[in-house]
Amino acid sequence: MTGTSLTPRPTRAGVGLRLPHLAEVEATRPAAGWLEIHPENFIANPHAREMLQALAADYPISVHTVGVSIGSVGGIDQTHLKRVRALVDLIDPFQVSGHLAWSTHEGDYFNDLLPLPYDEETLRLLATHIDEVQDGLGRAYFVENPSSYVGFGQSTMTEVEFLSELVRRTGCRLLCDVSNIHVSSTNMGYDPIAYIDGLPHDAIGELHLGGFTIEADEGDPTTDVLIDTHAAPIAEEAWGLYAYALRRFGPKPTLIEWDNDLPPFATLLGEAARADRIVAEVFAPEARRAVAG
Amino acid sequence: MPSLAETQARLSAAILKGDAAAVAPLLVGGRDPRARLVIHQRHYEASLVTALTTKFPATVWLIGDALFTVAARAFVRRHPPAAPCIAEYAEDFPGFIAAWPGADRAPYLGAVASADWLLGQAALAVDLPPLSIQALAGIEAEMLPDLELSLQMGLRYMHADWPVDELVKLHLDGNAPERYVLDPEEVWLEIRGVRGAFSLDRLAEPAYLFRRAVKSGSTIGAAAEAALAADPAFDAGAALGLLFAVGLVTSVNLPA
Repeated sequence: MTGTSLTPRPTRAGVGLRLPHLAEVEATRPAAGWLEIHPENFIANPHAREMLQALAADYPISVHTVGVSIGSVGGIDQTHLKRVRALVDLIDPFQVSGHLAWSTHEGDYFNDLLPLPYDEETLRLLATHIDEVQDGLGRAYFVENPSSYVGFGQSTMTEVEFLSELVRRTGCRLLCDVSNIHVSSTNMGYDPIAYIDGLPHDAIGELHLGGFTIEADEGDPTTDVLIDTHAAPIAEEAWGLYAYALRRFGPKPTLIEWDNDLPPFATLLGEAARADRIVAEVFAPEARRAVAG
Repeated sequence: MPSLAETQARLSAAILKGDAAAVAPLLVGGRDPRARLVIHQRHYEASLVTALTTKFPATVWLIGDALFTVAARAFVRRHPPAAPCIAEYAEDFPGFIAAWPGADRAPYLGAVASADWLLGQAALAVDLPPLSIQALAGIEAEMLPDLELSLQMGLRYMHADWPVDELVKLHLDGNAPERYVLDPEEVWLEIRGVRGAFSLDRLAEPAYLFRRAVKSGSTIGAAAEAALAADPAFDAGAALGLLFAVGLVTSVNLPA
């Protein structure tokens, strides 16, 4: 793996740029710290790609893959990886990321991020695939912790142990989705603080915040299950975890994700401004002294 | 303990076929992990049905949300996407819905869905700087039949046995009459899309055959032969000049 982006890493929070907002953002150039895109929305859409290329001259861009499927036993779709690489070469994002998940099986694509058992077999497979992706992209790949509704009884390690070992074996970096930690810890019953404390801090290169939807758990209607819909404002619990994560990891490029039931773009900018305020509060001189003390 | 391959095969069956019996014993999470699995099953179906609804707006308008959703659900179960770019998914939906039970009462349904698909694909295109007829200057006349032309990427051609362009325009205008009689009529359509917009125009059959052949990579000579088969009086020279005049030609490719 060689090569790095020439685009500087941003210091302010960014927002996810989805197709319904693209023309507005291209025309008005709002004051977003940076933009995150899903390459799968642009690869087969020359009109959108043309606008993205123009935006890349004015904004730092992060490419967040949703279809690379590093967890599929069938292997990496090399055709898709080459198309992602072509887009990466076109816009020179400051980083490229994807998910600890799988989404293809025997030629079928599920348009979803499906869970993996955390054991040695999966670890070996993912390490091989991450090496392939990093070689194919010519740069480091940032792997995001998933939102979970189910896991596998055959897992022999925790998600944090699994991610840490992936980092050790491949040199990949991590994208810490703080909202996913809240969603998954609620759904699967673990301590979100211990999860953040357990992550390899040096590998964290980006933070995500997104909204979720609360539903009654069909298997136990007395409890709720949190669905990672990215269709709502960021919950207070996630903002609280975000402040904690900042203290543990230091300031990192932070993304506001909103993918469904999209509000006006200004709403996303408002959420990004809140993230920036939290960074300022956490790293104000008094706060740093308090942590040191 | 099953292998990862076996685990993914079982979970795939649960997502696509609704058969969760084999994967359920492997799962943990909540009091009933099988109920949690429904979240993934639901997401697969809902996200792709929403994508189809967006891609086939005139078809939805024609048959209504409820019937369209039933057909779309069946389609996504039987024809999952083969790749992650959903913009490229569902090219075969028009054929699927044309064969849907009851579609024989609306024999134009497949053609309307085809028009939806082609309009959507064309509108994603950008246009390239067009060439003028001067691009042919310096090429000897006897070489012209062997030339190939590249046309704008947003061009699509469609032949239908029903005037689906009228239906599409009624849908776009949003002022459909209470009752509308659609009689069979062959139409040869040229769709030109660029940067989110598109036009939909009828061509005469020979001109359609000529342009479609050029667009698909035929030589000018072969395209002219296709048009002349439909109309011995077809003027290939004029048709060629018109391609340049309306800005459709982006490159002239000399034979190797």
